[in-house]
Formats: sequence, C-alpha cells, structure tokens
Amino acid sequence: MALQQEHELETIDLHINVGPQHPATHGVFRMILTVDGEKVVDCDPVIGYMHRGAEKLSENCDYRQAIGYQDRTEYLAQFNAEWTYCLAVEKLMGLQVPERAEYIRVILGELNRVASHLMFMGAFGTDVGFFGTPFMYAFREREVIQDFFEAVTGERMMYNYFRPGGVAWDVPHDFEEQCRYVVQHVRRGVEELDALMTDNEVFLARCRGLSPVTPEEAINWGFSGPMLRACGVKHDLRRAEPYSIYDRFDFDIPTGTQGDVYDRYLVRMEEMRQSLRIVEQALRQMPKQGPVMAEGLKRTIRVPPGEVYSRTESPRGEYGVYLVSKGGDKPWRLKIRSAAFCNLSALKNLVVGNYVADAIIILGSIDIVLCEVDR
Amino acid sequence: MPQDAGQAPVVERLRAILPQVPWEFVATPNDPAIVVRREDLPHLMQTLKEHPDLAFDYLRCLSGVDHIDQLEVVYHLRSFRHGHTLAVKVPVPLEDPHVPTMTHLWQAANWHERETHEMFGIVFDGHPDLRPLLLEEGLGYHPLRKSHPLAEIEEWQEDFLEREEALVAAAAPPGARAEEDERAKKIALAQKKAEVIKRAREEARAKGLTGEEERKYVQEALRRLEQEGG
Repeated sequence: MALQQEHELETIDLHINVGPQHPATHGVFRMILTVDGEKVVDCDPVIGYMHRGAEKLSENCDYRQAIGYQDRTEYLAQFNAEWTYCLAVEKLMGLQVPERAEYIRVILGELNRVASHLMFMGAFGTDVGFFGTPFMYAFREREVIQDFFEAVTGERMMYNYFRPGGVAWDVPHDFEEQCRYVVQHVRRGVEELDALMTDNEVFLARCRGLSPVTPEEAINWGFSGPMLRACGVKHDLRRAEPYSIYDRFDFDIPTGTQGDVYDRYLVRMEEMRQSLRIVEQALRQMPKQGPVMAEGLKRTIRVPPGEVYSRTESPRGEYGVYLVSKGGDKPWRLKIRSAAFCNLSALKNLVVGNYVADAIIILGSIDIVLCEVDR
Repeated sequence: MPQDAGQAPVVERLRAILPQVPWEFVATPNDPAIVVRREDLPHLMQTLKEHPDLAFDYLRCLSGVDHIDQLEVVYHLRSFRHGHTLAVKVPVPLEDPHVPTMTHLWQAANWHERETHEMFGIVFDGHPDLRPLLLEEGLGYHPLRKSHPLAEIEEWQEDFLEREEALVAAAAPPGARAEEDERAKKIALAQKKAEVIKRAREEARAKGLTGEEERKYVQEALRRLEQEGG
C-alpha cells in the first residue's frame, strides 16, 4: 500500500497553444487546448485576428461601394455574399431583377459553392493526412471554375459583379459553351476525388464516428449548412425559404445520419453534384437575351427607410445580412451573420473529450473561413 | 412584400398565448417583427422557445443597432418545427445598456452577445463569459456606436503617439542625451570609414595593383583618415 502511494504521481493538465499562425488552423485562428494526456478537456477559441471592421466600413460608404466589402468578408463564396447583400437592398427598394440576371446569379452562385467545397476537400484531406494529393486534384478543378469566373467578371478573387437590381454587365458571348465545359470537367474531377477519398480506409478510420452531434444540439448551437444537414436535419434555405428562382430547379438535399465528421464530408461531396445539376438546368432554362439590370436605377442608390434580414444558403450555411436603412445613400447598419462564425462558436462542445490529433480534423470539418468569422 | 399584423399568423398566435405583454408590430420584407419592452423579454423569449405552438428553437442572428438616442438589440428567430420566423426588437436606453442574456435558451447566443457587447457596449446580464471576442481587451471604446467616427480615431492615435514621445523625451535624464550623441558620432565615423575603403579600392583597381598592394593602399588611406580625424 505504502509502495503504491509512493509511485502515484501528481498530474497536471497541460495547456497547448495552437495558432494563430498554424497551417492546420486554416487562417489566423488560435485555440488554447487544455489536455489531460492525449485527451482534450477544455478548448478556448480565440478569434479576431482578421477583424477589419467590414460592418463599420460599410456604414461609411454608399450602397454600391459596400458590395466590395462582401467579397472581402467571404472570400471563398464571394458571389453568395454579394448576392445576400444585393437581395437585402432589392427587398427594401422593391426591385425586380430581370430573368436573365437571376439565371446568371444562380449559375455563378452554384459554381462558387462547388469551388468552395473543392477548397474544403483539399484542405480537409491534408488535415486528415492525405498530404497533398487531394489538394492538387481539388485545385485543378477549382482552377477551371476560377478561369470561368475570370472570363465573366474580370477578376479571380474579388469579383464585385452582382449589383442591386441585377449584375454589372452581361456575360461573354460564349458563356454557355464555357459553362458546359466547366460542368463536364468538374463533374469528372469530383468523381475522381470521391474515388480517392471516400472509401479510403485510413480516412474512414479517422473520420467515422468522430464528434457526433444530435439534431437538437445542432439547432441549439446555431449550426447551419452542411454542419446542420450532416446531423440529419433536412434544412436548406434554397428549399425552406426559397429566394431568387430556386423554386424552379430540381435538386436533392443530402443529409447525414450521425452528424459526425464523416457525414459532414459526405454531405459536401454530394452537394457539389447537386450544384452541378442545378447549373445544368439553369443553362437549359436561361433566356438567350434580355436585360441583366433593372431599369430606371440611378447611379447613386437611395434606399427607403426600413429594415430587412436577408439570408442565402452559402457553402458554409446561412449567410445573413441584416440591413437597417434610414433613407439616404448609406446603410445605417449592416450586420453580417456569418455561417462559419456560428458554426465555430460550438467548437468547444465538439472537441472536448476527443484526442488532440482529432481536434484538428474536427476544426477542419467545420470549414471555417477566418475572414468571414472575423469580418 | 411588407406584411401587416393580420397577415402574420405567428404574431396572431403569440397574441393569443401572451395577451398581457404589450408590443408594437413592425412590417419588414422577410420576417414579421415585434418591438417589446426590456422587462418583458425573459418571459417572452422563454415562451417563444418553449411553447409547442411557437417552438422557436433556432436563434439565427442577434444584432445590435445604434439609433443615436437609444440602442437596440434584434433577435432573429426561426422554428424548425413550424417553419415560421420572427424578429424580436428590444430598445435599450443609452444610460443603462443592460439586457438579460439568452445563452440559457440558445447556446448560439453566446458569441453573438459577446460581439454585441464589445461593439456597442451593451451588457448582457447573466452571460457566462463576456470577454471581448473580436477586439483586444481594454480598448475603452465601442467601435460600432455612431458616436465613434471612422477617421478621427486615427488622428487621435497619431496625436496620442506624438504626445507620448514628447513626454518620454522630456522625462529622460540629461546624461542619456550625451550618450546618444556619442553613439551617433561612432555611427557616422563607421560610415565614413566604409566610404574611404570603397573609394581606395576602386582607385587601386583603376591603377591595376595586385591584391597585396591593394590591401596596403587601403590601409594607407585609412591611416590618413585617422590622422585627419585625430
């Protein structure tokens, strides 16, 4: 007995600092992990390294200038961010967007979703330990989409293409042709990526059953997008609260069953296919000619007083813009509801009780964009 | 299209469940919105979340707004069971910016409230951890308040830095300044030496001297410099 006591060692919890500059944190994100052996017992996420005050800046420039800040806020799904903002302004002004512009928006928005998910696949693969191969595969396809976006908007990253009332200018004459090529190319790439990752034994061993979340928890924690659907909640804003012309398309909403890391991955993989389906349908239905901008709009947009909370289904979930106008040419208040921000806020619940190595995978599975989180 | 109170069934339903709570209906394009008093908020939110006919289980957004004469907190709610939405707006007086927390009902409120606290200075009573989230600690101002202009803060910071520097210079003892001068002299001398060496080398090369001769030539130039300076 005495001997046993002598050998008993006093143990203390160890604090591990991850980030802010760390390749596994997908940007400038810091978390302070408290570990007991290999298990995480506490996690304190620290954000704000990328805070540029986009909301404050938007209050100080006019309605058209504020579009640019949306790109810079959500730099992996720029079109979705611009779209949400433009929808808010359009709702307050009662603008009707021309048919052709709606289709252009849908096509670009859905391809943007694919591009963003491809980025996730690449980065997540690296987190899990594929070391580069999926990253290269994913980026090869993403490059095709980027080139297409560049042909349409003239920019590779900060597109600034959507406007309240439509889009900035009409698409190039070979838009359809290019778009079909992109869809065909990316579809093959997605299947390749699927074959490479989904049934991989190491991948399964590391992801399946990791940090499962129940639907009730997910809703209470404010999850949205693939994080929520992975838990089995069939909720997609394109269906639940249809905006734009999403009621015209036929597509499935993939859901998971366990709410674990593997389901989050699967949902995103399937979403890419569904997005490509939507793009194909939109290409078929799109009017060949017509205006792309609402008529009678002045150069300086003046929005009547009022408030609106507009939301769209961005790749990471519900991207919302709460716009308060008191008349005039500047927003009174522009609150950006970032999906990644809300998903990330439950990080502590997700990682506590798991291994340190798995904490990195769990963080990767949330698919954070730090510019969107910090705004 | 803006909705009237009669067109929003959820507001009618809420009226039937909570007849004693006064509120004002606001028409917004996407969601019906109600403005409620701060003292009614805890009871109202509890009912909104837990009553089976309302069942607002999802807090999708929480925003602060500065209306100059008063602040405001806006909750955007959604019910997954019934698919309806509602915005709850609570005016907060400037002199007493306190609102009860909603973290016990929706965990999603946690970071939203932390952010609104640092940006607007609204205190959420009962919040488990009201540290700053996006900003650094002890900043002393709330950036999203309208009283906090965008440009002038930078000017203020520049003024502040200049004042600080002047204070430091005045507080330094006189000996420190002499030391500074000594150091500056040394640096100037070293720079002069480097120049002389460079020039001497170039001259030596132009004359076509060998390596050994070049070294001697440079040393000679340095000695001359020391004599001049000494």
